[in-house]
Amino acid sequence: MRALPLLALLALLACARLPAALAPAPEPLHLADLAGEGDAERRTSMRLVLQGLDADSEGRPDLARGGYENALRVDPSNPYAYLALARYHAEGASPERALSFLDRTSALLEAQGARSPRVEPHLEGLRGAALLAGGRAAEARPHLERARALAPSAWNDGRLSARELR
Amino acid sequence: MEGLPRNSRSRKRQADRPGPKARGDGGPKMWRAARWLLAGLAFAAGFLAGGHLVRLDRIVTARFEGRRFQVPSRVLSAPTILYPGLDWQRVGLRERLKRLGYREEEPARSFESMQLSPGQQAWTERAVRVHLRGFAHPSRPEPPRDILLRLDGSRIEEIHEVGSGRALGAVLLEPELVGSYYGPHREQRDLVRLPEVPRHLVDAVLAVEDQRFASHHGIDLRRVAGAALANLRAGAIRQGGSTLTQQLAKNFFLTPERTLERKLEEAAMALIIEARYGKDDILESYLNEIYLGQRGSTAVHGVGEAAALYFGKPARHLTSAESALIAAIIQSPNGTSPFRDPERAVERRNLVLDLMHEQGRLDAATYRQARDEPLRLSPRSEEARLARYFLDVLRHQLPRAYDVTTLTSVGLRIYSTLDLRMQRIAVEALTRGLEGLESHYPPLRRDDSARQLQGCLVALRPQTGEILALVGGRSYGASQFDRCTQARRPAGSAFKPFVYAAALEASGGGPTITLASQLDDGPLRLDLPTGPWRPENFDRKFHGIVSVREAVERSLNVATARLAQDVGIEKVAGMARRLGIESPLPPVPSLALGVAEVSPLELARAYATLANGGVRPEIRAFEDLVDSQGNTVARRDIEFRRTLDGGTAYLVTSLLEGVVERGTGFAVRRAGLEGPIAGKTGTSDDERDAWFVGFTPELVVVVWVGFDDPQSLGLTAGRAAVPIWTDFVQQVTGGRIRGAFLPPGDVVALEIEPVSGALARPGCPSQRAEYFLVGTEPTRTCPSDWAEPEPTWRRGRETESLRDALLRWLDEVL
Repeated sequence: MRALPLLALLALLACARLPAALAPAPEPLHLADLAGEGDAERRTSMRLVLQGLDADSEGRPDLARGGYENALRVDPSNPYAYLALARYHAEGASPERALSFLDRTSALLEAQGARSPRVEPHLEGLRGAALLAGGRAAEARPHLERARALAPSAWNDGRLSARELR
Repeated sequence: MEGLPRNSRSRKRQADRPGPKARGDGGPKMWRAARWLLAGLAFAAGFLAGGHLVRLDRIVTARFEGRRFQVPSRVLSAPTILYPGLDWQRVGLRERLKRLGYREEEPARSFESMQLSPGQQAWTERAVRVHLRGFAHPSRPEPPRDILLRLDGSRIEEIHEVGSGRALGAVLLEPELVGSYYGPHREQRDLVRLPEVPRHLVDAVLAVEDQRFASHHGIDLRRVAGAALANLRAGAIRQGGSTLTQQLAKNFFLTPERTLERKLEEAAMALIIEARYGKDDILESYLNEIYLGQRGSTAVHGVGEAAALYFGKPARHLTSAESALIAAIIQSPNGTSPFRDPERAVERRNLVLDLMHEQGRLDAATYRQARDEPLRLSPRSEEARLARYFLDVLRHQLPRAYDVTTLTSVGLRIYSTLDLRMQRIAVEALTRGLEGLESHYPPLRRDDSARQLQGCLVALRPQTGEILALVGGRSYGASQFDRCTQARRPAGSAFKPFVYAAALEASGGGPTITLASQLDDGPLRLDLPTGPWRPENFDRKFHGIVSVREAVERSLNVATARLAQDVGIEKVAGMARRLGIESPLPPVPSLALGVAEVSPLELARAYATLANGGVRPEIRAFEDLVDSQGNTVARRDIEFRRTLDGGTAYLVTSLLEGVVERGTGFAVRRAGLEGPIAGKTGTSDDERDAWFVGFTPELVVVVWVGFDDPQSLGLTAGRAAVPIWTDFVQQVTGGRIRGAFLPPGDVVALEIEPVSGALARPGCPSQRAEYFLVGTEPTRTCPSDWAEPEPTWRRGRETESLRDALLRWLDEVL
């Protein structure tokens, strides 16, 4: 009986270190899932990000950018607004800018304790997409492969559409 | 003789006249010469007149084919975003709507279904109705829509679109006018195209100014004759006979003097204009050119700008009565201004309506309705002129192609980053603060306004580098020298965070110190080529061994100077550069104590890098430049670059939080301002400059106080600058500071014993939490190693004991 707590602890540790292959792959992050979280500013900021993604899906990238920037006006620490801007720039003509937005996203997610396995494929994939767009194919490949492995549904085609991120 | 021309007859008479030399062979020759002379003169006169006409034609075509109007570029504020949860009182919603010219209506009993037109609002205790006008913007347009805001105390509870009932998550209010870049005549106009002008406005203008506009060719002879007769009867000039085209010619090309020559030129030009251009073209030009009043010192031209001035709406939304009023004031916009004498304005408006009705331009029903319409003027607004220093900063940030000539003529819309509410608060806080200092410390008063106490306040959003407020001095009118961007003053102790950032950074073989280190604040002498340098503390005492936090919170000079020597002055200067300082940094030991002269804006940027977790933003004063066709012609994107690791930035921020909690910035807390705030005071030699650079997670604010001609204030920064900073932030945030300074993943918090800096274990005499970059944590523990102080940490990670490694492993796993 005395060994029971120790066994429980060991079991816990073992569970924590289960190979990723055995655990079911988490559904990649959709920003709409986070729309109701946080304070009033974060919720509004998320709504503006979602509006931006909708505009992007409708082929209106300027409106999309306006939405993301407004989202930062309301909540300048919203990591998902930076993520959306990273996607916007990775798809556009500013891959370098996309990389700096991705770094900002990672730093904010980490500081806010919000870096979840669901967001990892997007961070990896967008980094790969931005590197590829910037002509750094060799560097891009491992990132895109990781993204594809983590979230084939979103990253199979090597890009993340606004709809998929939404 | 019959049938001869008059000149021939006269020649004949002259030839018949006796005279000593008129007779004989010379007579016909002289006549021939005279004839030739006359012909020549006639030809010359014709040639000159023709030449003059050609010249006038060139003038007319040059103006009509080129840029007809000089339209100043307008600078607009950042938009206000309304959303559920927002404190509408804090953002001053009611005043904001009023400044935007929204007309407040009496709330009807059926409040939610009352009819509102764009530009109208109505309030009850628990709800607001606003019919937004909407605005065009390339990347964030907002449609005109009627919205209902339900209020819960000072908060917006929810927002609905009236009609559809759709809940709205966020709504943008149109931006406010920050200012304009005027030409020498300070004319403002909002150009309108003729199809956008309501028919009744055109009819009202024609009814009063030029009934036969459609049929004349530039000059209306019937009207001229009528006016001449009336003036003859009156014995003075009472009526003008000018057509719209003549008025346009006069306004475009001529001076207002009343001379025959000028009238002839006006008539000639009117004929040329009519010959060359269509009636619609002429009418559109007239409607955009006509002077219609004043907004402060700015002349309002054109019906578009007049509609905004008097009724707070675009010309296309004017009612018949409003159009008649605009037409009624054309003859004397200031004498008959509805702001000055509303009753007289209504009388004149009704006269115009009578004319329109008589001329068949208004049907009976509309006529009656328009006559009964009460005069509802927009709140009188003047251009804020609160941000003139900012306008200068913005102008320097624009691409080179947009020089002064272009800015004053092409009618750009510049969407700036300025938060006009914050700007207003900044102006008030700085003015109030400086006046308060002068009143509490009379030696600071100067009779000469050019030499009076000055100050500057600049506020940035650290994440995006947007300038939210900037006040470069007490009065732009008195001095255009911008102390936020043009002044370079010694930073004093506000420079010290760069020393600590350089010392805490883990690059190149590990940090020089950790936050658990001890510093030596004993006497220091450095032998320099210029002689010995012996830094002193403000209290002229030495404090021996002190903790890093104590050294920062008490702003100890000697400990900091010694630390800078350990780190290396070059590294300190390099750190300041990486964070955003661009001014020259002399590589001397006193650099650590802020001998370098910097501008408040660059200091703001450097602190923004700390607030932003080591990511340096590019300063932005504007986002988009939009031309008169609505195309974006230039943009300034959000740009940033990581220049310091997030962990070190966090450690410095944590030190600066201590300054506000316990140190030289404590006046912030004493004033009752709560929440996450970090900052550093700075007082230069002889107390000539007082600085406070403070930040919250979403706002960096720099306040500088001093004299332009450096003189001692006799005050520390805590007394001179901190109160202004606190006043500003208190009002801007309403005391609710959002967010938190969060440690990044490579920073750990551990309990330490403060004297030794060792890890605290049960049994330690005292302990407190401290932050460390992962890998720089103390390895000694208290109480076992308590007697032995932690040496200055300057090596790589030391070998862990088995016990410490086990404890750390358990910490990580569990």
